[in-house]
Amino acid sequence: MAVVKLEGVEKRGDSGAQIISDVSLTLEAGAFYFLTGASGSGKTALLRLITLIERPTRGSLTLFGADTAALDRNAQAALRRRIGIVFQDLWLIDALSAGDNVALPLRIAGAPEDQVRDNVAELLAWVGLSGRGDARTATLSGGERRRVAIARAIVRSPELLIADEPTGNGGEEIALLLVRIFERINRLGTTVLIATDDIAFARRFEHPRFHMDHGMLIDAGAAAAAQ
Amino acid sequence: MIGYRFGAPRELPLGTDQSGHLLPWIVAVLVYLAGLSGVGLIVLGDTLRAFEHALHTTLTLQVPAEASNARLETVLALLRQTPGIVSVHLLEPAETARLLEPWLGPVPLDELPVPRLIDLRIDPTAGTDLAALRRQLASVVPDSRLDDHRQWPEGLRAAVRRIEGILGLSITLALLLIAASAMLAVGAALMVEGSPIKLLHVLGAADSDIARGCAVRSLRLGLLGGGIGAVAALLTILALGGAGSVVQLPAPITVNGAADWRVWGVLTGIVPVAGLIAMASARVAVRRRLAGMP
Repeated sequence: MAVVKLEGVEKRGDSGAQIISDVSLTLEAGAFYFLTGASGSGKTALLRLITLIERPTRGSLTLFGADTAALDRNAQAALRRRIGIVFQDLWLIDALSAGDNVALPLRIAGAPEDQVRDNVAELLAWVGLSGRGDARTATLSGGERRRVAIARAIVRSPELLIADEPTGNGGEEIALLLVRIFERINRLGTTVLIATDDIAFARRFEHPRFHMDHGMLIDAGAAAAAQ
Repeated sequence: MIGYRFGAPRELPLGTDQSGHLLPWIVAVLVYLAGLSGVGLIVLGDTLRAFEHALHTTLTLQVPAEASNARLETVLALLRQTPGIVSVHLLEPAETARLLEPWLGPVPLDELPVPRLIDLRIDPTAGTDLAALRRQLASVVPDSRLDDHRQWPEGLRAAVRRIEGILGLSITLALLLIAASAMLAVGAALMVEGSPIKLLHVLGAADSDIARGCAVRSLRLGLLGGGIGAVAALLTILALGGAGSVVQLPAPITVNGAADWRVWGVLTGIVPVAGLIAMASARVAVRRRLAGMP
């Protein structure tokens, strides 16, 4: 079953410039993908479409079997809640504690507070931040902030996990650790899509890859064949 | 055990940016101005009523200086017998001189043909026939003049109404500015890099939940600012020694600061009004902004 399906998707910027050109792409449930491409190739723009942060200028986007163009706002919000996102800039609320940042998706979903407490504690321990839940994210190191962002993305066991350059510039050891974390999440049934400009790094894994160049997906077929 | 403090259950963190921090102070200033304007309306209304009450019960009769004492006594007797006239007071020359002194300086009454003045108090409900009285007075002293003060307050009344209009407009503008400020605070919150509102939207919060969170936050900030402004306005009134002391009221109707329930009514009533306006405006603004997002 396809979790994400893009057909002939285009995206133009406010100035009319083409950002994404005629992209067709399918992400199957439970699979693990890399999206590679140089900086400015359109990876982030594509992820913003898949996570419903932006709308396609043309083409169709189907998420979890639903045509997103036909959905009302509440239904779109419900789809967003099924997606975990690790933003390139992490997008943490620095005025909140690490625990409250991780708790956001649960609170948005209206989870009971005892469940919030338990899940957040578990996730913080899982990403190696036991005892750091009360710390303001502004006081955390770059690596710790990245782990808070990952914990927030997976705290509700999303069906689709999107990570935009999650390895950042933390070094190879950290990058490998993060990919292992994502693989563990993937084994639990979550579809994972990781965008990175480090093509050599992505090649070290057996997971299918999509490659973007100048807003075009140039080897989607290879990714599908690699599954 | 992992110990950390959570926010209130199911409350979205919409107050974590700096955008709304000015809102209470803006609301405080506007509520202060609106509150004082409201109290001003009370003072003006009371003043006008006091003047009207005083002027509706007072007449002045001018008897020419050359009228004889006998005619003057006849006039006084006529007045005392007229139904509806409750008191008749012939001003002594010294009293008349005091009245004229602000305009003419020390007046040598024996050198000037200053008319004798008779101060009349009437019962406004008795329906005294002033036209008949004028005819009777003219038959005794042809050049006597009965001044009915009820006409001249028309100008005063119109002036007071204009000032009341200005004060009402000030209150309306202050409340509109509260609404605009709350809307701008929402706009600023969305302009902030990494806006929590946008993040909540992207993470799947329903528009209604975000709007409710923003509205509740604006309500709190509006009430806080309104409270500060209302207390400041009350302190100002108390510092002036009561609103009634702002103007010299001619009648015993006064606005006496903290002792007047209407002042409390205005100053306590405007606080929830400010809060509700801030709340509704923020709700409208955030719904509009969210509607513009994918």
